[in-house]
Amino acid sequence: MRGLLLAVLALSVFGCASVKKVESGTNRLGERFTISIEGAWNQLDFPGVKPAQVWTMEGVTVDEFLIFNGIRDGEVMNSKSGNGKQQDFVFRKSMPTEEIVSLFEGVLSRDNAVFKLIKIEPYPFGGKKGFRFEYERIRKTDNVQLRGVGFGAVDGGDLFALLYHAPRLTFFPRHQARVEAIAATAVIR
Amino acid sequence: MKRRTFLAGATAWGLGLVSRPGRTADDLGYSAPPRFTRPETSGEEGGLWALMDREERNLRRSPLIVRDGDLQSYVQDIACRLGSDHCPDIRVTLVRTPLFNASMAPNGMMQVWTGLLLRVENEAQLAAVLGHEIGHYLQKHSVERLRDIKSKSAIGQVFGLFGLAGAVGQLAVAASAYAYGRQHETEADRIGAQLMHRAGYQVGEAAKIWSNLLAESQAAEGKGANGSLLFATHPAPPERRAMLEDIARSLPDGVTGEEAFGRHVQRYLDEWLNDEIKRGQYAESLVLTTRHIARKFALETMHYHRGEIYRLRGRDGDLDLALGDYRNAIENDKPYPLALRGIGLIQRQRGQRKEAIEMLSRYLELAPAAPDALFIQSYIAELNS
Repeated sequence: MRGLLLAVLALSVFGCASVKKVESGTNRLGERFTISIEGAWNQLDFPGVKPAQVWTMEGVTVDEFLIFNGIRDGEVMNSKSGNGKQQDFVFRKSMPTEEIVSLFEGVLSRDNAVFKLIKIEPYPFGGKKGFRFEYERIRKTDNVQLRGVGFGAVDGGDLFALLYHAPRLTFFPRHQARVEAIAATAVIR
Repeated sequence: MKRRTFLAGATAWGLGLVSRPGRTADDLGYSAPPRFTRPETSGEEGGLWALMDREERNLRRSPLIVRDGDLQSYVQDIACRLGSDHCPDIRVTLVRTPLFNASMAPNGMMQVWTGLLLRVENEAQLAAVLGHEIGHYLQKHSVERLRDIKSKSAIGQVFGLFGLAGAVGQLAVAASAYAYGRQHETEADRIGAQLMHRAGYQVGEAAKIWSNLLAESQAAEGKGANGSLLFATHPAPPERRAMLEDIARSLPDGVTGEEAFGRHVQRYLDEWLNDEIKRGQYAESLVLTTRHIARKFALETMHYHRGEIYRLRGRDGDLDLALGDYRNAIENDKPYPLALRGIGLIQRQRGQRKEAIEMLSRYLELAPAAPDALFIQSYIAELNS
């Protein structure tokens, strides 16, 4: 994420990044994926951010809400940030849950951050058989210790997932319940 | 000093009987400068020291520091033997990062990354890298590098992006860690080899490091190949390896310290290998784990993690290879719990219900509080139904 953070800073300076307010209510994220939110979020858009949508409550250098909306078989999971020499992480529809979580571990460690899986459990997500996991991460850029939670399910060979992480002491506890509530409203059609 | 006397000294040192062996006369004649005094803060070098002091304070607060007094003292002690009279000025910090790298700042702050500790095979190889960095320190290469960087116009862009304070900090780090010129590298190699020799290590181990890194690099596929910063910033052409081999021939004998090194890093291997695998550079990680298996180092740990690499890579035939490694990791009386999990997960995928249930159940018996316990229970329930 170091590259991502630097990219956001740089792009903000040069006016290439945009921030859009996401209002309360039901948000259709794509043809098949819907979530409902209470309270507004900020959606960041800048070159290279895909395939995830990046939302933030406190600012992208503080917290990130990553939305993976129907990742297809063979699609790269990580953003195009970094020096271009880092490994890409590719989703395969045949992956069992534990490999999908390993994929997220790779994506979130791509900046050499330290990632630790705290818990993984079955979780009905979007009306499908899915999974929920908790993790800790030490961001390499600034050594901030983050806490995170993720939800996901594969349906029709596509991966739908929500990940949220924030500094563990103040911001994660502040927004965890809000994120859990959003995950509970997810619908995959 | 006669060879027999030297060997006796080196052996005694290897056994921990003496803290610092004397210098040998039959080396390449390098004479280290006297200990450095802190330069005036108003000067260029003094400013760099002050900045690195600040970087060091920040580093010491980092959650990425390996805060194990025993391991830290062990590496510090090796650096001290190499640094000799400069020992009091060298401060080693171990940083949890899965890349092969070490660096030394002009104020004496030395960083050693865990990716390096995972890759070297003995004390002598570690000493080769530390000695090389101490060589840069003794010759003040980073100060020269700072002057060189400052003269380049590109630095203005850095100021523009990060602001003055950030830029100076970045500059200081860059000066200490990145892109020494070929002449500096060669000089540091030669000095490092002599420091190794004087400390009683086998200088021939230095060239082996580069052979091992080259093997990883050659196995790497496509972009993302070899994340080693040291490799990226310290180019290691075959002639460099040859030069180290030449030096080794003129500085024979010495110890490798393999047993002591293995004993000190053993308890961290799982953590470091987990970090290594998360890089997603499976071809490189396979070369690394296969090399350690070939030298019969931490066999169960290495077999389990190589099995994980195969399972996660998932190419044709990889699951069979993973199963083979997992089974090697559970051979003895005390099976490696995560290897049981690995077998269970693969057999579940393959529809081998009976063995999947057995292995996953055994895994939970041995690791009831595992992070994935609830998930594995759901798999067992599903298999039973």
